Amino acid sequence: MKRTKLCFVVVWVLGAGVMGWPRPVVAEPPKGEATFEKSVTPFLTTHCIKCHGPEKQAGDVRLDTLTPGDPKSAAVWAQVRDQIRDGLMPPAKLPKPNAIDARAVVAWATATLGARPARLPNQGNLIPHELLFGTPAPAGDSASPARIWRISPAAYSSLLLRLAKDAPGVSQPFTLVDERGIRDFAGLYGADIPSTEILIRNAIAIVEAQTTAEYTVLVKPPKGSTEPAKPEQRKNQTAVQEFVKLVQPGVKPTAMQIESAVRTQFRMAIGRVPDAEDVARYLALYEKCLKDGDAPSAVKAVLQAVLLKSEVIFRNEMGGSNGRQLLPPSELARTISLTLGNRLDNALLTAAEKGQLQTKEQAIAQIQRMLNDPKSDRSRIPHFFREYFEYHTADDVFKDKPMGVIYSPRTHINETDLLIAHVLKQDRDVFRQLLTTPLTFVNARGFEGKLVRSEAKMGGTDKKTGKFTLGIEGIYGFEKWPEAQPVEMPPDTRMGVLMQPSWLIAWSTNFDNDPVRRGRWVRERLLGGTVPDLPIGVTAQVPDDPDHTFRSRLEVTRAAECWKCHQKMDELGLPFEQFDHYGLLRKTERVEDLEATAKNVDSKGKPKGKVYREVPLNTSGVIVDSGDPKLEGPVNSPYEMIRKIANSDRARQVFVRHVFRYFLGRNESLADARTLQDADAAFVKSGGSFNALLTSLLTSDAFLYRTHQNTTPAGASK
Amino acid sequence: MSTETTRRELLKGVGLGVGSTLLSPILSQIAAQAAGDAKAANPKRVVFVVQSNGMSPDHLRPEGVMRSFKGNKPTNADLVEISLADKKLHPALESLEPFTKRIALVQHLSGRVALSDHSANHGCLGACPANKGPIAQTIDHAIAEANPGVIPHIAIGLGGNPGTIMNYRLSASGPGQATPIICSPELAFKSLFGSVAEGANGKNFDQTANLLDFMTDDVKRARNALKGDEREKLDGYLAAFEALHKRQTELAGLRESLAANAPKFDKNQLRPTISTTILESQFEIGAAALISGVTNTLLLTSGGGGQAFGEFPELGINGLHGIGHGAAQNGKTAQECFTELRQLHTKLIAGFAKKLDAIKEGNGTLLDNTAIIYISDSGEQHHPSLYEWPIVVIGNLGGKLKTDGRYLEFPGYGQKKHRTTANFFCTLLHAIGKPRDSFGVPDMGMKDVDQTGAIAELLA
Repeated sequence: MKRTKLCFVVVWVLGAGVMGWPRPVVAEPPKGEATFEKSVTPFLTTHCIKCHGPEKQAGDVRLDTLTPGDPKSAAVWAQVRDQIRDGLMPPAKLPKPNAIDARAVVAWATATLGARPARLPNQGNLIPHELLFGTPAPAGDSASPARIWRISPAAYSSLLLRLAKDAPGVSQPFTLVDERGIRDFAGLYGADIPSTEILIRNAIAIVEAQTTAEYTVLVKPPKGSTEPAKPEQRKNQTAVQEFVKLVQPGVKPTAMQIESAVRTQFRMAIGRVPDAEDVARYLALYEKCLKDGDAPSAVKAVLQAVLLKSEVIFRNEMGGSNGRQLLPPSELARTISLTLGNRLDNALLTAAEKGQLQTKEQAIAQIQRMLNDPKSDRSRIPHFFREYFEYHTADDVFKDKPMGVIYSPRTHINETDLLIAHVLKQDRDVFRQLLTTPLTFVNARGFEGKLVRSEAKMGGTDKKTGKFTLGIEGIYGFEKWPEAQPVEMPPDTRMGVLMQPSWLIAWSTNFDNDPVRRGRWVRERLLGGTVPDLPIGVTAQVPDDPDHTFRSRLEVTRAAECWKCHQKMDELGLPFEQFDHYGLLRKTERVEDLEATAKNVDSKGKPKGKVYREVPLNTSGVIVDSGDPKLEGPVNSPYEMIRKIANSDRARQVFVRHVFRYFLGRNESLADARTLQDADAAFVKSGGSFNALLTSLLTSDAFLYRTHQNTTPAGASK
Repeated sequence: MSTETTRRELLKGVGLGVGSTLLSPILSQIAAQAAGDAKAANPKRVVFVVQSNGMSPDHLRPEGVMRSFKGNKPTNADLVEISLADKKLHPALESLEPFTKRIALVQHLSGRVALSDHSANHGCLGACPANKGPIAQTIDHAIAEANPGVIPHIAIGLGGNPGTIMNYRLSASGPGQATPIICSPELAFKSLFGSVAEGANGKNFDQTANLLDFMTDDVKRARNALKGDEREKLDGYLAAFEALHKRQTELAGLRESLAANAPKFDKNQLRPTISTTILESQFEIGAAALISGVTNTLLLTSGGGGQAFGEFPELGINGLHGIGHGAAQNGKTAQECFTELRQLHTKLIAGFAKKLDAIKEGNGTLLDNTAIIYISDSGEQHHPSLYEWPIVVIGNLGGKLKTDGRYLEFPGYGQKKHRTTANFFCTLLHAIGKPRDSFGVPDMGMKDVDQTGAIAELLA
C-alpha cells in the first residue's frame, strides 16, 4: 500500500548507552523552586483547564487529572512545558499569561522532569541568537566546564587497532544516539552493562594478543593436492615483547617489571604516565592475583585492569581539581587528537611527555601544526560537514527505481564528499561557496586530480521496452561522464550542497519530497531557529491524492493548530520543489490524471495503467521570523532563497555555532558569546577560511581551559 | 528464603553431578515448597519473540475463516472466537500444529500510538510513540522486574545484518534506558555460559572475580574525582562492574546447572555468518538460559527497529524492504517470501517450545509455566497502519492465561469494546501477579473507548 506521511523529526530519539533521559530545557531556567500548588495549579486553572479539563479536552489533552511527578504523565508535562515555553499555548486569541508566571511553570516542569542544560545538539538553538551575537561581548576568562567525554565508536575502533591490530574477538561496543545532525556530545554517553561486558572481553582478547609471541595457522595445501593442511608458526605482529617475557612459564616477574609493564600499557591505552598511587594499586592487584592463580594469569589481570580504566574509554578534560586551569599536557594531547581525528597523535604524546605542552602557546602551536599537516589525522573535519548537512543518509531512504535515469544514492554521497573537500581545499568564502557554488562532481570517486567514474552503468536504450535510460550523469543533465571535474552547472540549475542530489534524497521520503523536514533543516541549521516537537497523539499524514501536487496536498498543515508550528518549516522547504524526490531538476510537476486513468482500459474494461499530466511548477516560498530583516519576505525559487541566506551574517554565525558544537562537544552557553564572536570575526577577516575559523575555536580559552565552577556568563547578564 | 538461594543451597547440598542438573527447575520447586514459598513454587517465564517487517493477519487466520474489514480497519463490533480444535492453521504457522491446544491467535488489537513509517521501535513493546526513543519501560522489562531471575532480563537475537552486534531499538528498562539486544551468538553464549564453558578450572573464575573487584574500586575512585552530572557518566560503568561482580557470585551457584545445559556449539554455530544460523543459535541459547534457571524473562528478536529488517540471502530473500513493497525475489512472490520467513520463525519457536516441554516441572512441564508472545515490531505489515497488531501466544503461564486453542478477533478499531496492545500488556502483568491497568501512552484517537485494564477474555 502506498502511503505518504509527513515525516516529523522528533528530538528525543535515543540509543542506549545514553545517560538518563535528556530533557529539553529552557536556556536559562530561573532560580528558585516553583512548587506545584503555588505556581502551577493557579496557572493551569487560569489558562488551561477551560479547554483541557473536565468539560472540554481540546486535542484530547486533559490536564486536571494528571498527577504531578508521576512518570507516566512525564510525556504530557514535557509537552505542556514546551508549549508554554515556546509561547504556543495558550492560543493567541486568549489572554497572554504573565511572563513570570509562565516561566515559573516552565521551571517547575523542568525541575520535575529533571533540570539539565540543553543536552542534545539539536537543542543548541534554544539560546536565542541575539544573546550570543546581538552586542559585542566583553572579553572574560572563558573556559568549558570540567568534564569527561566517552570516546566515539570511531576513536575506540582506532584504539583497538593501536593496541592489538586484528586481535580475534574484539568488537566495538559503543553506539551514538540515533539523532539528527551532530551525534557525539560530551554530555550524552556513559557505559552500560552489555557494553562493559564487551570491554572486558576486549581487554582479555587484547592482552592475549599482546602476550602471545607466535601463533599457529593451518595452511591449506595447493589445489588438487591430497596432502592435509599443515600447521605453521607465525610471528604475532601485535605482541608486546616486554609483556611476552613476563608470561613465560616459570617466570615470576619482579615488582619493577610489573611497574614497567603498567607504564607501557598506560602509554599505549591512555597516553599518560601512571602516578605512584596508580602503580601501587596495580602492584597490590598483582599480589592478590598471585595468591589465587599463577604468575602469567596475574600479569594478565593487571594488564587487563589498565585497559578497563575509565580513562581509556572516557577522555578526561578535568583541567585540575578546582578553579579554572589550562588542560594538563596529557589531557591536552588526547583532547586535541580526538577533536580533530580519531587516533592519538604521537607527536602530541611525545610533546606532552617531554614537557612541551605546558603553555597555551605550545598548545596553539601543536593545533596549528596538525591543522596544516596533511599527514595528521583530521578525519573529524569532513565528518562535521556530513553531520551538519546530513546528506550522507541518502542511502537510507528506500525508493523504487526512477524512470529514465540510473539511481545510486551512494554515488551521490561521494559526489558531495568531493565537493565539500574541494571547497575546503580552496578555503575561501567557504560558507557562501558551500551554499552557492555552481560546481559539482559527477559520478566520481577518488581524489581530486585522480578521479574515476564511480558507477559504470552507462544507461542506454532497453532493447525490450525501447525505453532510454541515462547513466548517473543523467541526473545532472549530462549524457557522457565529464572527465574534467568539478564541472560548472548552468545558472539556476543546481548550486551548493542543498541542491546536490544526495542532500535532496536524504531529505525526502520513500515516495515524495519532504518540504517539512527540509524547511526544518533550513530553519534550524541556517536561521538558528527552533521548532517544537510533534505533539503527542498527533499522527500527521498528508492526504494521498495522486491528482494533486505535493504542495497542494500539504495544505492540510494550514489548519490553525498545525500551522503554528508548520509556518516555521513548510515555506522554507517548498522552494526545493524545483527538484523531484530523486533530486532531478524539473520544469513542471507530474500528477495523475484520474479521469484519463479511469478511461484507460482495454476492450474488456481492464485498467491499462495510470495516466499522468504535467502541471505548472510552483517553487515559491516565504522567509518569516528569521531574525534577519534582510532575509524576510517571499522568494520565487530555491536559488533566490539560498543566495539570500548565503549572504546573511546571521546564517554564517549560525554555521559558526554548529562548528562550535561539533568540535567542543557541547551546546554553546551565554558565556561563550565572546568565543563565538571571535571565531566569526576570524572567519570573516580571513575571507571565509574554515581553517581560520577552526583555529580560532580550537585556540580559544573555551577549548583549552576547564573550570570546576559554574561559569557566570561573561558580560551577559540578561 | 528466596528461590535462588534455595536452589543454590540444594544444589550444593546434594552435590549434583553434571547431567542430573537438567532437573534443576524441579529441584527449585521442591526447594521453594520446602521453604514454604508457595508462589515461587511454579516460577513463571515469559518469552517475547519479535520479528521484523510485520506479521500478516492472514497468517493467523486458520483455513476458512473470514474477517470483516473496511479499508485497513477491522469492523467487527463484538469479539469473534473460533476454536482451533477442528481448524487447520495457515501454512505459515504449520510448525505450531503440535501446540494447537496451547495457543491463542489474537487479532484486531490496535497500537496506533506507536505509528511510524516502518518499525514501531520501542513503541512495539512499550505501547508508546515510535520515534521518541526509549521514553518508557517496555513490557519485557516490566515483566522481568515483576518476576526476576539471577539475570533478570536476557535479550538476544539477530540484528539488521549478520554483522550487527547490538540492537538498541526495541527494549528499554526505563525512560532513556534502551537495553541492547545482543546480536552475536558468541557474545550471548560467552556472557551466559562463558564461565563454565571455559573449563572446570576455577582459577579463571577467581581471577575474573579479582579483576571485577579491582575495577569496582577503580571506577569508584575515578567517579569520586568528578562532580555533579559528570559523576553520572560513570554511574553506568560502575553499576556494570558491581552488577557483573554480583552476577559472577550468583552464577557461581548455578555453575553445575549452566554447565549441564550450555549448548554444545561448533565454530559455525558460535560464530555464524548467516542469519538463519544466528537465529538457530540464539534460540538454542535462549532455551538453555530458561532451562538452566538463570532467567525468567527472555527477549528473542529477529531484525527490528528502524529499517533493520534483516537479510536472508541463504533463502534467496535478499531485501526484506523489497518484499515489503511487493517485490519478487529470485522467482518467489513477496507473499511467498513472507510465508517462508514466517515458517522459518515458527519452526524455531516450535523447536524452542518442544525443548521447554521436555523439562518436567511440578505436575507438568516448563512450557506449562511459560508464555511465548510472538509479535512483529511493525504490526501488521511493512508499512503498518497499526489498526491491528496480530499476536500469537503459546502456553498459559501456569494456568493464568486462556490459550487453549483459540482464534480471537477483538472488536475493530474505535468500537466500544476495542482493545489495544497496551491492554494486552496489562493482561500479562495481571497474569504474572503484578497487575497494572494502564501501560504506555493511550491512543488519543479513541477517546470514546476505555483503554484501561486487562483483557478479561484472555485471563483464565
